[in-house]
Amino acid sequence: MTLFEKIRAQKPLIVVQGLHPGIIQSMLDYDVLLGRSTPSVRAIIVRGRKKERFFWGNQEIEIPLYSSLDMLPEQLVNTVNFVINVQSARNVLTSLQAALNTFPKLVLASVFAEGTPELHALELHKKAAEKGVIIAGPSSVGILIPGVIKLGAIGGTMHEQIVEAQITKSGGTAIVTTSGGMVNELIRVVTSRGEGISFAVALGGDRFPIFDPVAAVLMAEEDPRTKQIVFFGELGGDDEHAIATLIKNGTIKKRVICYIAGVVAELFETPPQFGHAKALAQSIDESASAKKEALRVAGATVCDRFDDIAEAIGGAELADTITGDSLVRRKGLFMSHISGESKGAVQLLGNDLLDTVENNSIASLSLSLLLGRQVESPILIEFTDFVLRLLVDHSPNVSGAVNTMIAARAGKDLVSSLSAGLLTIGSRFGGAINDAASGWLDGVSSGASAKEYVDTYSKRDGIISGIGHKKYRLDLPDPRVSALKRFVTGDEKYISFAHSIELVTTTKKANLILNVDGAIAAIMLDLLSSELDLSEVELRELVSIEFFNALFVISRTVGFTAHYLDQRRNDEGLFRLPDDDLRYIP
Amino acid sequence: MPRKKISEYRAKHLVNDALGLSYEGWEVISPNGDIAKLSSRDHYVVKVDQAIKQRFKRGLIKLNVGGDQVQKALVELSKKGHQNFLIETYKEYDTSERYLSLKRDRNGVILSYSATGGVEIESHADTIQTGIFENLDLSKIAKATGFTVAQLRTLCALFDENHLSLLEINPYTITSDGIVLLDVAIEVDSSAAGLVTGWTVEDIRTPAATLTEEERYVRKINEDSPASLSLEVINPNGSIFLLLSGGGASVVIADEIFTLGKGSELANYGEYSGNPNEEETRLYAEQVLSLAVRSKAKEKVIFIGGAVANFTDIATTFNGIIAALHKYEKELKKQKMKVYVRRGGPRQAIGLRAIHDVLNEMGVLGGVYDPKVSIPSAVKSLLNGLEA
Repeated sequence: MTLFEKIRAQKPLIVVQGLHPGIIQSMLDYDVLLGRSTPSVRAIIVRGRKKERFFWGNQEIEIPLYSSLDMLPEQLVNTVNFVINVQSARNVLTSLQAALNTFPKLVLASVFAEGTPELHALELHKKAAEKGVIIAGPSSVGILIPGVIKLGAIGGTMHEQIVEAQITKSGGTAIVTTSGGMVNELIRVVTSRGEGISFAVALGGDRFPIFDPVAAVLMAEEDPRTKQIVFFGELGGDDEHAIATLIKNGTIKKRVICYIAGVVAELFETPPQFGHAKALAQSIDESASAKKEALRVAGATVCDRFDDIAEAIGGAELADTITGDSLVRRKGLFMSHISGESKGAVQLLGNDLLDTVENNSIASLSLSLLLGRQVESPILIEFTDFVLRLLVDHSPNVSGAVNTMIAARAGKDLVSSLSAGLLTIGSRFGGAINDAASGWLDGVSSGASAKEYVDTYSKRDGIISGIGHKKYRLDLPDPRVSALKRFVTGDEKYISFAHSIELVTTTKKANLILNVDGAIAAIMLDLLSSELDLSEVELRELVSIEFFNALFVISRTVGFTAHYLDQRRNDEGLFRLPDDDLRYIP
Repeated sequence: MPRKKISEYRAKHLVNDALGLSYEGWEVISPNGDIAKLSSRDHYVVKVDQAIKQRFKRGLIKLNVGGDQVQKALVELSKKGHQNFLIETYKEYDTSERYLSLKRDRNGVILSYSATGGVEIESHADTIQTGIFENLDLSKIAKATGFTVAQLRTLCALFDENHLSLLEINPYTITSDGIVLLDVAIEVDSSAAGLVTGWTVEDIRTPAATLTEEERYVRKINEDSPASLSLEVINPNGSIFLLLSGGGASVVIADEIFTLGKGSELANYGEYSGNPNEEETRLYAEQVLSLAVRSKAKEKVIFIGGAVANFTDIATTFNGIIAALHKYEKELKKQKMKVYVRRGGPRQAIGLRAIHDVLNEMGVLGGVYDPKVSIPSAVKSLLNGLEA
């Protein structure tokens, strides 16, 4: 099978290196025009955020962003066959080398940047040849294989342009050029004659294109779908002479229609630098006229005037041209995975509100909403239920409750008083579960021993979130922690680590036991790993968005509200701290 | 364009230092540079060091200048518009002049050499031996050139480490004291600036003396922009002014004008591509219009043209061009210039309509065409506008 047949037979799975929203959107629009059901662009490599929104027709979809190639999921890595690189010139060599080494199924890539050093392009030429991968570029607007893939800005970046170019149906004319603007112009010329394109490639105007003109023309010759080749060349270099030789000796048998730009240079003794980096004829042989003559003698169809190309292609001027609709697509101001309105009814987690509510307990509903997905695991739901009940209240003496009660006695409303209590929640009160989870994650992933971990903390400020209690100690265990341990079935990773820490810390002070916060954090981490298959990366994300503290906040809201109502029922007056209870030292 | 020439001073230092040869030259910028190190008793060569070919023929090299006459020589040369000079001690050699060059090619580094080098090398082209460095029998080349095998290897390593594209030693000579490099010209891959230690952007030289203000301005915009902009004046009093986009399309357009017999009327060549922003496009257009206004031609036409762009935004770039047109409106009208437009790409409908209305209002409308009109047809209309 020839390389092009191999490429055409594949379903594209594209990774984009760098972020260029316009180009990526145009590739998705092409997918939709071809009637595909899923986007061919699977991942974007760029630092920063985790997702980027694009349009799929008129709907918005998200495409994941990864900070580097090694962050990509394994099954994707083994199936990626196309790469487009839109990074800056100085990253081209390392990025493309990484792509060649990472993706075993890679067949075609395209490099957009201008300004890549010549030695880097030559190096990539060598590597790409070793791996049998075609790389169009640098300075390439891309490669188009109608019906298969539009890899780059080629053909246009606005929906209406792409429709007008009529590039969805495959045909028999190949277009090979170094120029980005001209490849698009030639696509129009070919399709406006009612002819289809087998493939169109912009090789880029650099001195040493990685996929060079001779190789491209040979590939067109080999491609069974290509019947004729339109070649746009220019003065400078000797590629056209090489092509002429191949036509002469019969290696290239298909019709080659050429336009060689740059005759105008012959007007001048010292011609200006025309067009591209390589467009400087350094000897008479490299002039446009000499190349045209060589090609003509060899048997190619050489067009002296640009309009002659349309004539030479055949076909006929289409009576009706297609005008694309200018799509007015506005991105939503917010994106929600939780709930939304659809056709007048409210949906919750993918189902009608009432259905979701009927099928979930308050615990499973809460956990599912917090995670943004419907949770089915019985043990995880039971654990959440227990935690929500356990943390509901811990006497009116705790800081948050005190704040709520003071606000109540100041005559404030429910929401203000509740807020006063909630605003007390932080790393010292009620907010330690998240910090503990972070600590257990760090501990386990670092592979440190319990002693090493504890020593690191002692050097800092000596507080390990999840460890320590005022009252409870080794010989006086916290009954709540014992109750939580019901949910520990075996040697789960995080609870085991937490225990090992406790063993070390309790040798220093008996009350440095694993406390409720630490236990909840460890057990929740273990359950999320085992029941929902969350990876370490995903667990860290939950820590970074404070998921673990959310459980406390939801639960304690019940307690604070209760204290508010209670105080309001008591109906005592404004609270003032007795003078004796405050020591003033001027 | 990425391949750029560096100063002879830097080139000579690079090569001599690498080969372990001694070199003394003084780089002087502007006529009042520091020449205190020169002795009034010695004699010197004063050269313009600005990437200009055939300096002897153009009188840009002064030989055997007495130390106290150097200042005068510098002033004289700078009056011709040059700013960068190289001063070396003057010596005469009676040994033969030879040639050696390295050139970067797809197949590798090409080494060329000849036993008859010098200014007239082109006429001795048949004496030049050429081959791909890796495939050469270096001991044979060493014998033929006078460089040692180690020195040849050093030159090749220097060539790659510093991302050079062309290294030409023409001529060098072999004296009883060893090899003397009389002239060294190097072209570097300027995309690699910052990656190499042998040269920096400060060493790059262009024959700038002859640049117009507009060309200089466009070079500055190009340096500061991720997009690509270029402008070259061909005939300042020509009647056809080009404001083109795209490297390929711009050559096609220039070719069409040439094929239709109007090549001598071409005032300029140049193009912008890679989606410059509105501001950059405006400033670029202003330079072209400035040239147009200055030309002494009786009839003038301006062609704003290009292919069907893939990603350059037509509405945005045309807004920039329209702003420039407004700036020069009075002169355009007074000189009865005609403006023709042919372009396609993202948001072309908006851009073409806007520029059509503006040109119409100004009374300088020649014609505005979308991609349905081929490039040659649009160029024909342009040239008809010249004759009318």
